[in-house]
Amino acid sequence: MTSTLNGITLKGSAELVADFFSFGINSILYQRGIYPPETFSRVTHYDMSLQLTTDPKLKNYLTNVVSQLKEWLFECTVQKFVLVITCLETNEVLERWQFDIDCDKSAKESSAPREKSIKIIQDEIRSVIRQITATVTFLPLLETPCAFDLLVYTDKDLLVPDKWEASGPQIIDQSEEVRLRSFTTSIHKVNSMVAYKRTDSV
Amino acid sequence: MDLEDDTSVLTTLKSFNSFISHTEAPQRLSEGSAGSGNLQSQYKRSMELLEAGERVHSNNRYLQLDEEKKQMELSHKRARYELEKVASDSARDLEHEVDRNQDLLGRLKKFQERETEAAKNLSEQVEANRALRKNMEGLNRKLEERDTRLNTANQTISSLKDDIRELTQRIQNQDSTTSSQTLENQELQEQKHQEVSQLCQSLQAAQSSCSEHIVKIKELERRLALQEQDIAIVKTVKSEVAKVPNLEKDLKRLREDNAFLRKPEDLSREVIHIQQREIALKEQNYTLSSRVRSAERSQNEHRAELCQQRSKTLEEQKKRETQDSLVRRLQKRVLLLTKERDGMRAILESYDSELAPTEYSPQLNKRLREAEDILQKTQSHNVEMEAQLTKSQEETGTLKLQLQTVELELESLKKHQASAADSNTSGTKEELNILRQKIEDLESERQRLEEQNNILEMRLERHILQEDQLLLTRGLEPLGCTPTALQNNMFSSQDLRKRLFIKISVLQIAGHQKEKSLRYNLHLDSSMVPFIALGTEGDYDPIKTRVLHFKMNPTTVAKQQRQQDIDALREEVTRLSELVRSLQEGGAMVQGDSSINASLSLPPSKEVVDLRKQMESLELRNQRLKEVFQRKIQEFRTVCYVLTGYQIDITTENQYRLTSVYAEQMDDSLLFKKEEIESQGQLIKTYSQLTVNLLTTERWRERKECMEEG
Repeated sequence: MTSTLNGITLKGSAELVADFFSFGINSILYQRGIYPPETFSRVTHYDMSLQLTTDPKLKNYLTNVVSQLKEWLFECTVQKFVLVITCLETNEVLERWQFDIDCDKSAKESSAPREKSIKIIQDEIRSVIRQITATVTFLPLLETPCAFDLLVYTDKDLLVPDKWEASGPQIIDQSEEVRLRSFTTSIHKVNSMVAYKRTDSV
Repeated sequence: MDLEDDTSVLTTLKSFNSFISHTEAPQRLSEGSAGSGNLQSQYKRSMELLEAGERVHSNNRYLQLDEEKKQMELSHKRARYELEKVASDSARDLEHEVDRNQDLLGRLKKFQERETEAAKNLSEQVEANRALRKNMEGLNRKLEERDTRLNTANQTISSLKDDIRELTQRIQNQDSTTSSQTLENQELQEQKHQEVSQLCQSLQAAQSSCSEHIVKIKELERRLALQEQDIAIVKTVKSEVAKVPNLEKDLKRLREDNAFLRKPEDLSREVIHIQQREIALKEQNYTLSSRVRSAERSQNEHRAELCQQRSKTLEEQKKRETQDSLVRRLQKRVLLLTKERDGMRAILESYDSELAPTEYSPQLNKRLREAEDILQKTQSHNVEMEAQLTKSQEETGTLKLQLQTVELELESLKKHQASAADSNTSGTKEELNILRQKIEDLESERQRLEEQNNILEMRLERHILQEDQLLLTRGLEPLGCTPTALQNNMFSSQDLRKRLFIKISVLQIAGHQKEKSLRYNLHLDSSMVPFIALGTEGDYDPIKTRVLHFKMNPTTVAKQQRQQDIDALREEVTRLSELVRSLQEGGAMVQGDSSINASLSLPPSKEVVDLRKQMESLELRNQRLKEVFQRKIQEFRTVCYVLTGYQIDITTENQYRLTSVYAEQMDDSLLFKKEEIESQGQLIKTYSQLTVNLLTTERWRERKECMEEG
């Protein structure tokens, strides 16, 4: 575990980033009301209280995706991780949370851990999650029933696992973009942004 | 006391009354006695009365005094009581006051103690105050020092800001110069483009002419081939012609041999034939020789033309190559400059964005220096690479020149060879071998140089890519093209057995192909494969990235669920519409149709519900009655059987079986049939009665006998 060592290894960095995504996705689902709030329970992580889902199907899906993503992060083959929120009635994409991942591939070759304090990384992650929570104030309300999907942008020559398939980028037509904070583990750098459908001013 | 007073008053009154009555009574008594003694008696009476009155008065007074005394005593007591009360109250008050005094004394003491403590605290606090004041003074001094330091820092910051402003101005100036340079570059580029386009046009014209020449050369070669064939034919003809004298000799011999055998006419005919054949052959010979000579002449002429055309094409190729290399170099320089400009711009933008919050000047300087170092390194590297490229190109040019000279020599040698056809083959063969070796060496050298050229080009491209990566790490957008280094090495190893001029033509074709490949590289360099810019939301390069998602993701699941719901709702809607239609058509006939009834989901009305309840209750009642009746009838039958000794069963319709308790066997019974006719029934009835009586009496008797015996 990276918490006992001073440095960050590639594996530890992949775990940190995958953890961040797991909690971040849960936060977004809770904040945007994709699932009813009573299906979430409060947990403490990163020295702050976060919401985690208790729905077994959703939990299963998230663990599958995050575990596969952890592998890809370890192999440095993933470029972006996107959460897409679609309206069920009109099949339109209403929101798009995009996380760009820059991997330092030299960490793959050298196994020496990098010097970066885990506390600093956690502080950075905490600020990103706080910002995600704060975005609720300006994002438009999701009034229609919505569902979400998780997309992963990988290298073209990657072998597609069994349970995965190719998909379109699901880009929003006429979107407003807001760039959020980023954090880095010195091996992986994650930039966050959210794009939402421009609502016509009344 | 009042009562006593009253009673005393009453007693006095009573005594007075009694006295009066007593006096009256004696008065009455004494009336009859003396009239003379009336005055004395009256006087006595009056004196007695007066005395009585005085006694009463004194009594009254006594009583009054008594009363007063009592009242006095009472008042005394009251006063004493009150005094005692007051005394007790005052004693209590005294005690209270004493307690209070003591309390107050205690409190006083406490307050005094507190006072002393407070005084101590005060003194301590005063001392603490003094110490704090001293600290405050020290802190104030420190604050002042810090203020001064802050001021100096602010001054330094302002000076640094000024420096930064100057730097930004310089950068702006540099920007302007770079923009002007780019403008100039663009103008130059445009000029060069125009020149290049003109050159290209001329090259294309030259190319077309070259192609025409090539076509002509091919025709000439065809003609050459034909002529060779003719030559071969001529040679065969010559050989045949050489064979002709032998044949003539043979003929003569044969004629001499056949002189005696054949007739003179046949002979003459044969001779004529042979002569005719001779003439024809000679004519052929003449024509062939003339043709050979003309073919040789045309061949020579064509060869001369070929040489000229080849030299022309070589010159034009050289020109084109040099121009291509120039164009490429210029384009690469333009690329580098644009990249430098973009890098500087990006750096400036990053500086502008980072200007406000943090310390920026040392970072700026560092970055500037780093960027400059990188730029210088890349520029020097580029210069080196370009120098290497030019060297290699010059070497290839020189090699080509050598090739051309060798080709010319080969052609001259070939001419020599053609003129001195059959003889002197050995010497020319040696020369040919030497030339072949030379050509092979030159070919290998050229291949090596081409490979070097390609390697250098690859290095250049790699270097450009590294620059792009460096710029990417600084968060800038690279404008690097990703040209694929096509290396169309279409040179095949040549066949030693082929003739020399075919070898040369193949070499020339290879040279043309190489030019085409280099031109293709040029085009690729200039085209700049479009690169979908990263950074805008969602876009990606489909060549390098792929978007994946989980198959069973919540959106698809939700959509499937929605679809299922929609389908179920549609089915229900169709079913309900059918129901409604059928109800509208049928009305009362609905009940007969069981299929619709089965799917009837209309809510039952109140009457129906009540009727159903009634029905259920009636059914229950019926059931209960049945049970009760069964129980009761069973009971009744058993009782009848026990009491009367006969059991009646209904076997079938209108047939009854009577069995007796006293029957000897179980099967003994009487069967009766009920008929409609009354008389018959009565008959039966009487008959049965009789028999019953008979039987009963008999059995009773038997029983009795048994009992008596037992």
